[in-house]
Order: sequence, then structure tokens, then C-alpha cells
Amino acid sequence: MKKNNKKLTLFILPALLFYSVFTLAPAIGGFWYSLTNWNGLNKNYDFIGLKNYAAILKDTDFINSITFTLKFVLIMVVLQNILSLALAIAIESRNRSKTLFRTLVFMPNMISMIIGGFMWMFIFTKALPYIAQQLNNAALMDISWIGDPFFSFIAIIIVSLWGGIGYLTIIYLAALQGVDKTLKEAASIDGANAWQVFRNVVIPSIMPAITIGVFVTLNNSFKVFDVVYSLTGGGPGRSTQVIAMNIFAEAYSLNNRYGYASAKSMVLFAIIFVITIVQLKLMRKKEIDG
Amino acid sequence: MKRKMTGWNLLVLLMLILYSIFSLSPILLAILNSGKTQGEILTNILAFPQNFKFDNYLIAFEKINFLRSFLNTMVVVIVGCTGIVLLSAIAGYKLARVKSKLSGFYYSLFVLSMLIPFHSIMITLVKIANVTNLQGKTLGLGIIYIGLGVPMAIFLYTGFIKSIPPELDEAARIDGCGDLRLFFKIIFPQLKPITATIIITNALWMWNDFLLPLLILPNSKTYTILLSTNMLFGQYGNNDWPAILSVLIMAMLPAIVFYLILQKNILKGISEGALKQ
Amino acid sequence: MKKSILLSALVLFLVFGIVGCGKAPVSEPKKVTLKVFMTFPRFQEQFEAYFEDFKAKELEEKNIDVTIELEMPNSDQAAQILKARLSSNDAPDLFTLHAIADIPSFYEAGYLSDLSSQPFVSDLLENVKDIVTYDGKVVALPMESLAWGYLYNKDIFAKYNLTAPDTIAEMLNVVKVLKENNETPFLLAFQESWIPQLMTALAIGGVVTSENPDFVEKMNAGTASYNDIDQIFDIIDIIMENGTEKPFEVGNAAASAAFAEGKAAMWVQGTWQAQAILDINPNLNIGCAPLPTSDSEDGALINLSVSTSLAVSPTSKNKDVAMDLLNYILDKEASTALFEELKFNPVAKFHDYEVFPWTDEAMSYVALNRGYRDLSLPQAVTAEQAALLQSYYAKTITKAQFIAKVDEVWKNSLGQ
Repeated sequence: MKKNNKKLTLFILPALLFYSVFTLAPAIGGFWYSLTNWNGLNKNYDFIGLKNYAAILKDTDFINSITFTLKFVLIMVVLQNILSLALAIAIESRNRSKTLFRTLVFMPNMISMIIGGFMWMFIFTKALPYIAQQLNNAALMDISWIGDPFFSFIAIIIVSLWGGIGYLTIIYLAALQGVDKTLKEAASIDGANAWQVFRNVVIPSIMPAITIGVFVTLNNSFKVFDVVYSLTGGGPGRSTQVIAMNIFAEAYSLNNRYGYASAKSMVLFAIIFVITIVQLKLMRKKEIDG
Repeated sequence: MKRKMTGWNLLVLLMLILYSIFSLSPILLAILNSGKTQGEILTNILAFPQNFKFDNYLIAFEKINFLRSFLNTMVVVIVGCTGIVLLSAIAGYKLARVKSKLSGFYYSLFVLSMLIPFHSIMITLVKIANVTNLQGKTLGLGIIYIGLGVPMAIFLYTGFIKSIPPELDEAARIDGCGDLRLFFKIIFPQLKPITATIIITNALWMWNDFLLPLLILPNSKTYTILLSTNMLFGQYGNNDWPAILSVLIMAMLPAIVFYLILQKNILKGISEGALKQ
Repeated sequence: MKKSILLSALVLFLVFGIVGCGKAPVSEPKKVTLKVFMTFPRFQEQFEAYFEDFKAKELEEKNIDVTIELEMPNSDQAAQILKARLSSNDAPDLFTLHAIADIPSFYEAGYLSDLSSQPFVSDLLENVKDIVTYDGKVVALPMESLAWGYLYNKDIFAKYNLTAPDTIAEMLNVVKVLKENNETPFLLAFQESWIPQLMTALAIGGVVTSENPDFVEKMNAGTASYNDIDQIFDIIDIIMENGTEKPFEVGNAAASAAFAEGKAAMWVQGTWQAQAILDINPNLNIGCAPLPTSDSEDGALINLSVSTSLAVSPTSKNKDVAMDLLNYILDKEASTALFEELKFNPVAKFHDYEVFPWTDEAMSYVALNRGYRDLSLPQAVTAEQAALLQSYYAKTITKAQFIAKVDEVWKNSLGQ
């Protein structure tokens, strides 16, 4: 056993080295700063224990950003997975056009969200107002996609879905292809309708893919930054400020409270960690039960 | 499932077409308007340009220093991917084969970090880049990506290697193979599918990453495509849309071309990688 | 275990060995590389050209071959990149920062060189020099300086024989005359919160400077409250009660168009917006005057401020050359053309190019000693005021709530 462990360490060492230097050490550094009052600039700073964490509890803006992010995550998890699954089923049902649709649906995933954000900016600020004007629709013309809290939220959801659905659709497609055809046929011979087949045969056998889909959406949505950054910058006011944005602003554009911002990012890590573990536990259990 | 109603069929087709339009609309609108003059954009956004101005693209090509930025990005991606694949495959091999407490500890150590938000490691990472003399170099950026990318790759490799029967190792060992030789001769060739997945997802990530290159590369000579693009927005402000859109198209062109050529492999790699988790 | 140490050493060697090489041999002329970090992406070409001139000059006069690595990030990313560079000991030789917002914290952290003995200092205009002076030392070279109050439509004022008011009473009279003639006194544009914030900036500036000069120090010491300066609401209430309708639907661009078309006589907006207004209506006569805040003209003051300024890092390895470049930014021969081309206000005594009429008008008040140095409020307070003013207009908070919240935010910003 000891010899094996030695060999194990030897094989892992190169990866561990890079990992320690560029991921682990910075993470520990981030945790250390969260216990200090460093402002991101000064060479001197003090160790202040858990004071930053205590301050977070009273920080209404941060709590608001958590609520807003939760709202975003919830909507994304539901919409993104349902739409992706629907698209995957639709694509799976085609014969000749299968490849074509698959290609088109995944295309946005190849593009950086910074570039995507700018292209959508063009749509929201130029193309949609133009179309509203052509239609002479006063209600449409009044919409300020980037300036109004509600519509900004819709805009962020639309762009996030645009950038995320392709990936999940591909996963669901692969899972659907793995569903046992004889099982489906057996069920329909037994008189099950399309919905019952879907509910009782398809869903249970693609459960692992659904776990992954929810996991991926959860993890990405909690960390969402690029889309909000390039579309609204968190505005108007703080109405679309997601957690990552709040941390970013705290560290760089408001008070330079880098230590405090680090504490917030530890909280974000803790939230993601807990939710992921709980979700994986629940879903795995369901898979086994099913 | 043979009983297909044509009405239902049509509805499905319609939905797919609608979604495809949605999916492509930003790109199509960008192409359409990148060849226009400012005035044309103001009068009709949806129309075809009267004379498609390819000049906009030539200017964009020069402005983002396309060839140099492209090469820089390639250096980063190649260094990063090579490192990630080699180091993670070797590590994943032993993690999958050795069953001990230590092995479990290493594994959780790697996997846990996949949940860390980038913002919480950012500042210290830049400091380390500076101390290790990697700051400001494309090669250096590639090396940093290795450290950030190994956890995910190790996770995938370990899972994959577990599905390869260990009897193979034993046979080779009896033939007198050393561990490392055994790995490269017997195991590594069998990892092709998952290696493809890892290369694809990591290349995409590095190609489209923004914040880290922004912090690591201060000099325009070392900019990646995305950085060169981003820097231009500041110069154009928010008004010169034909110029901005041409730059955007140029910047995403390599990824799109790459995708259209290799799409089968890419899509296969993506789905296999995810379902292995 | 030995093997593993050896292996890791090997990996390290391979990695850093490759990266570490590549230094050029020193030869005649002396080669120097300067890293310059500026937040003027709009003016990249102008600065590149200007730096070319500098390189030629330096080569000729000092036989130094300068290479300038110019980094020009977008302004919304600049703060983050600059701070990351500074705190990881990778400071650019020269970098821009915001004079009012950044100098105190950057100076305390030791990232600014003392420039007091540099030649350019003696050429600086006094009121500008004052703003880049901290702890008795000049620590940055001012590039963008501002002198601003509110904008008014001179044509409308002339039509009813009005002049820019100096006191609250005079302002009330102006408002009355305008309304009698069916003109809207004030343009309100609240969609972007930084625009209403300009009202608090000017009102607080006037009240504090004329009546409560150590207010900021007292707030920082925790011994004052916005109750002490609640007089700022006198003028803010007048503006809000006599403004255009539906301000939340009006952004900066729309407001500029409205002002250009004469929809209102006054707009609390800085002179930086004047050019955009003229683009829409080139025939408009735009004036700039100080906002009245009390019954004395002492309370109506022009805001003097410096935004982007250039500093030299104390850790620069080529400080001499960096200083040469810094001084060249205010070179007696070359800089006038640069500043004029960039449409910056004059910062040096020898800057004698013609300035915009509104700048002239603002400076005429300053000449009468009716200017004040922009106050240094915590950034979080400024941001909060912007949001609170929107709520105050919408009547979702009262004056007392406004005051309580700002006091609280100010107090919190001290807690580090």
C-alpha cells in the first residue's frame, strides 16, 4: 500500500504542482484576505478576524444581490433545462434535418459572451427599437431594454439562455439516443400514450443527464458575470446586480474594500458548495430510486 | 412511435426553425449591418446593404492585428491544452487505479476546487504570476491555464480510466513494463475519446476567456483576439456600429470556422464529456 | 520522496527556464522601455503620435532609445487592471488616475512619486495645481481639468431679459418669469443616476465651501451629519418642482436633444455635455453658471476639478526617462497643440489656445474667486446620493430618510 501511495504521489505531482501554485495557493490567499481589512492597494493591512463576515450579515445591498441571483438561478434552471430538453426531443424526432438543427442550436456556445453581449446590445438598443417603430407599436417602443429594471432582467435571461441552451441540448440529445428503444416500444404496445411513455420510460432513463443539466446551470448561473457586465453593468441603480457583480464593485469601484470583497466571495463559494452537494445527493438518490 | 401526426410534426419543425432563427439572429444581424454605412443602419436595420462594404472588414482585420492576435491565442491554447492533457492523464491514471485514503484525499482536493469562483482567487493569482515571471507573456498565460484546468480534466480522466479493465495493466506489467511506459503504451492510446473532449472544452474556454488574459497580458503585442477586440470598443465608443460589428465578426470567425469543420467531433466530445461526469 | 523533489525541480526549471530568458544586450544608444498605462482609448492615436515625438526628442537630446508599451484599457476595466498591477508589484512606469477619487488612497499606499521638483509644476495653473497636491506635494500631472456649474440656454434667458441668478431669491424670480412665459425652467433627466447626482455635487459644494468649510473632515471624524447642510435641499426642491415631466424615461442622449431644442431653460449638467448638445443644434448659445444655494452669491460657486491625471510609479526602474516623458506631456512647445486637439481645458499658464465660450464664462466666475475645489466624498456616498435622489424625487423617501441613509453610508465607508 505504501509503495502504491508513493507511486501515486509521484504521478500526481506534476499536476498537483501546477494546481497548487495557480489554484490552491490563490484560493488560500483569497481566504486570508477575507480575514483582513486590506484595501487592495496598501502594503499594510490588519488581521481583523471574522469582522468582514459579520458585516456581510448587515449588508443589504449584498443580500439584495443574493436574492436577485437566486431569482435568476431559479428561472434559468427551469427554463434552460425545459427548453433544452424540448429542443433535444424535437431534434431527435427529425431525420434528415437532425444534423442541421443540432449545428445551429449549438452555434452560440462557440462565441465568447463578451462578443455575444455586444451583438445583443445592438439588438436591444438598435434593432428592437427600430422594429417597434416600424410596427408603430407604442407599447413596444416604450420598452427600455437596458434602462428599465424589469426589462433588463428579461434581457439578461434571454442572452443567458441564448448562450447556454446549446450545450444542454447536446447533452440531452446524447442521453435521448441512449434510451432503450425496445422499452419505449413495449410501453406503447401496452397502450401507454406518448406522454406516459415520456414520463415513465424516457425521463427515468435520462435522469443522469438531467442531474448534469441542473448541476451545470446551477453552477454557471450562480457565478454569472459576463452577461450582466456587458449588458447592464448591474444597473439601473443596483437593480440587476448579481453576486459576482456586487463583489466586483466592492473590490474595485466602490470602497476598495478588497478584504471585505474576498469575504463575500467566500460566502459565494459556500453557497455554491452547499447547493451543489445537496443537489447531487438528492438527484443521485432519485436516480437510484427510479 | 411510428404513429406520427403530420400536424404535430409541422409544429415541431416550426419550433425548431423559430429557435434556429433566435439562435442565429445576433450573428446574422451583425453580418448584415457590418457592411453598411452609419446612415444605412439608421434608416433600415433589417435591409440588405446597398453596397456591402468589405472595407470595414479589412479595417477590422488590421485594427485587431488579426494575425498576431490569432497566433498569440494559438500559443495560449496549445500550451494550455498540452499541459492539461499530459499532466491530468498521468494523474488520473493513478487516481483511478490506486484505492487508498490518500488517493481519495487527492481526488477530493482537485474536485472541490471546481466550484471556486474565479473572482476569489484573482488578485493572488496575478501576484503569483508576477513572482513566477509569467506575467505579460502568452506562454505564461498558457502555463497558468494548466494550473486552472487540471482539476476538471483529472475528474474526467479518473472517471474514464476506471472503466478500462485493470487486467490490461497486469498483463503489461508481467511483460516487464515500467509504470510510466505502461501508461503511455497501453493506457494513453485508449483515452482518445475523453482526451478529445478535454481538448475541445479547454480550447473553447481559453479561446473565449476574457478576465484572466486582461489581467495577465498588459502589452498589445501579446493580446489574444478577444482582448484586441475588447480594447477596440473603447476607441469606437458606442456609436460606430458598422466598425464594431465588423470587428466582432472577425473576432468570432476562427471559432465558427473551426466549429463548422469539426462540428461532429466537437459535439460528440461535449456530450461524452458531460455524461461521463 | 527524493525522486519527487527532483522531478518537481525539473518541471520548475523547464517552465521558468524557458520563460525567464530574452533580455536584450545593452548597446549605444541606451535602450529603455517604459510601460505607460492610460485610460484614454478614444485618444489612442493622438497619444501614440505624441509619444513618437517624445522618442525622437529623447534620442536626439539624450541618446536614449525609448520603447513605449502603451496600455489603454476601457475605463470601466481600468481600475481593476491598474490595482491588480500595483498590488502585485508590477506597476507601470506611468499611469493615469482620477485626481479627486484616487490620489488619497494611492498616495497612502505609496504608489505615487513626489513630483514637486519637476519642471512642469511651475507652469501649472494655481487652481489646478491645488487639486493634484496632496500632503503638501504635487503627486500627479493634471490632464483633464474641469470648471463647471449648470448649463443654461442663453437665447431663452436673453428673450426675457434674464441673467444667471446668484441667490435663491433671484433663482425663484427667474423661475417665475420663465413660467409666466410658458417656458419650463429645468430639464430633468433621471434615467442615469449620475445626472441627478450632479445636483447634490454642486449644492453640497456651494453650501459646504461657503458656510461649513470643515464639513468633510468632520464627517470623516464622525462628528457631523447631513442635517448640518440640509440647506442643500432648498435649491434641489426648486429644481425638482419646476422641471420637465417623466424624468425617469429620459437618458443623457435624449436630454441633450431636448435641451438643444429649447424644451427647458436650464439643465444641471456639466460642460462636458455641451459639445453633444451643439452637435444636435449648432446655433444654440450655451451658458454655464454656478448654482445658487443661499441668499448670498458666496454660495453660488463653480466646481473646479481634475479628473484624469498622470502619475509616476516610485518603483520605476527608469525614473529619469519616465520623468522626461511626464514633463513632455506639458512641454512648452508641443503640449498646447495636443491639449487643444483633445479639447481639454488649459492646465498650464502657457496654454493660450481659444477655449469654448462656456468654459470662458465659468472661468470668469473663478476669476472673481467664485470657484471651489471639488470635495472629496467617499465614492460609496456619491453612489448612494445618486440613488437616493431618484427615490426622493419619486417621493418614496423623505428628506429625513435621505439624510439618515447618507450619514449611515458615510459612516460605513470609514470602517476600514
